[in-house]
Amino acid sequence: MIKVPPYLSKGSTIGLTCPAGYMELDKVQNCIHTLQNWGYEVMVGKTIGSKSKTYFSGTDSARRDEFQAMLDDKNIHAILCGRGGYGVSRFIDQLDFSTFKKHPKWIIGFSDITVFLAHLHTQLNTASIHSPMANAFNEGGHKSIYVQSLQKALKGIKSNYTAAPNSKNKIGKASGQLIGGNLALLAHLCGTKSAYKTNGKILFIEDIGEYIYNIDRMFLQLKRAGHLKKLAGLIVGKFTEIKDNPRPFGQTIPELILQHVAEYNYPVCFEFPVSHEKENLALKVGIEHLLSVSKKAIQLKEL
Amino acid sequence: MGMLPFGSFAAKENNSNRNRIKIPPYLKKGDSIGICCPSGYSTMADIQQSIIQIESWGYQVKLGQTIGKRDFTFGGTDAERAADFQQMMDDDSVKAIMCATGGYGAVRMVDMLNFARFKKKPKWIIGFSDITVLHCHLNQVVHTASLHSKMCGSFPKDWAIADEIQVNTILSIKRALEGEKIVYPIISNTNNRIGEAEGVLVGGNLKILENMSGSISSINTDGKILFVEDVSEPLYNIDRMLCNLLRAGKLANLKGLIIGGFTSIKTDTPDSPFGRDIITIVKEKVDQFNYPVCFDFPVGHQKNNFALKCGLVHRLTVGQDAVSLQEIN
Repeated sequence: MIKVPPYLSKGSTIGLTCPAGYMELDKVQNCIHTLQNWGYEVMVGKTIGSKSKTYFSGTDSARRDEFQAMLDDKNIHAILCGRGGYGVSRFIDQLDFSTFKKHPKWIIGFSDITVFLAHLHTQLNTASIHSPMANAFNEGGHKSIYVQSLQKALKGIKSNYTAAPNSKNKIGKASGQLIGGNLALLAHLCGTKSAYKTNGKILFIEDIGEYIYNIDRMFLQLKRAGHLKKLAGLIVGKFTEIKDNPRPFGQTIPELILQHVAEYNYPVCFEFPVSHEKENLALKVGIEHLLSVSKKAIQLKEL
Repeated sequence: MGMLPFGSFAAKENNSNRNRIKIPPYLKKGDSIGICCPSGYSTMADIQQSIIQIESWGYQVKLGQTIGKRDFTFGGTDAERAADFQQMMDDDSVKAIMCATGGYGAVRMVDMLNFARFKKKPKWIIGFSDITVLHCHLNQVVHTASLHSKMCGSFPKDWAIADEIQVNTILSIKRALEGEKIVYPIISNTNNRIGEAEGVLVGGNLKILENMSGSISSINTDGKILFVEDVSEPLYNIDRMLCNLLRAGKLANLKGLIIGGFTSIKTDTPDSPFGRDIITIVKEKVDQFNYPVCFDFPVGHQKNNFALKCGLVHRLTVGQDAVSLQEIN
């Protein structure tokens, strides 16, 4: 059985940290206020709005030490990553999860944070949350159903999402643990001990700013690494800001995905609201879900 | 105390200095070299100069069906590219296969290939960049040596006035195919890590090496000399790809590491520089190991991209003043 960290209650503390790219303190204010309005205490790490002049929010050791401290601090009940970018892979192998194993807590984020979500699933058998991060709270985003879906997830309310049908969907029903994240990171984890074990599970993927040929290549990496063969179902989120070359690739995202999974029989759905855009529902990684893809709708229900 | 497990002992020996890779026969005058497109598309005009040169070396050229074919970015559909490559592998009159160009696409067709006949009658497969897919697969699955080198599009338009490096890199393909043992003296770099290494040479395009991770084609690099190169990637992504190799255990037990060209690196956004150059990025990954490392090796998406025999045992010597890579099979 997968370990499910305790859900939060009024007065619980959420640690806010940037384990990857740099983020200004101003950009997290709305997030902090909203979390406080939800009834939580917020502990803001020094990596947020740090003095770093580089891409990263701090040196590898500064980011690692802060994450380690938040993992080990029993007064912190969940860790929300401020943003992604790139950087978790540089220090994840230096983390000590021994205290976390005894006292698991929710680790929350997406994009580069996919490295944590996959590692927690495969190496630590612990559930986590793929969801909007601090920036999503800005510009009125805190009122959106997407940020609010995080609030519900933290409270332990079971999710039951419906999404619009798509003529390219492959109809069917599947149940299994929900896993997934950013496609570039899922490909990047192949061959490492953090890669998801995908057999019998429902996989979701999303990405941003990639060339179509590279999306094809990364998706084929998952296939050739055996990660697609025995899925229970596949949820394709939004692929935004896609790039193409002057010599066009000649296939759309649904076309290339359907070609590569043509030999498998599980349900597949497209344009599910998980993405780098506002449409990014909180998804509990590692928790059993029911995926139902019909002509009329997509339903993803936490069991 | 039990007996020494002979099986594991033998396996260990295989991984270190015993090379069970098959070496395809070298070429003789009059032999045919096949040209085809397993990845991107190539027109007849694109490969014209290579045909003229290859024929002037005393070889015949056999053109595959995919030359001049185009399916968007690809040199024909996946099935067409696979069928053409299969035909080239199975045609006994073809003694080597030069890929016309890289681009993207080999990974879409490699699993459609049947290497049964090729295993019995191996031949040199030639190319780089996206062709790294084939080099990896040939090494790890088919156990056959292959040639990492420039391809048809890089042959000079006018041989008489082409610059010396370009001519020499193209001639390095000819020399390698004729069986001449490779010896490349290289200019030293102060960032190199001094040392000597002997092992099977493997490698290619870093993006493709990462793309192979987790698949059957991913090279077991233990006891080997690895070379890597790439083009047009941002620094953070080069770092991320090397992190994949590190975390997948591909860097821990190398005999030596060769860093080729990392050209046309995509610039950082000015307000958030990555803060490390290629040298620092590499050093961060391999500081914990002791094998020799050399930078600026002439392999990559650049003029000085010399032919390298993947799968053959080489000696890498990284000295204070001089660096050399020598084939010692």
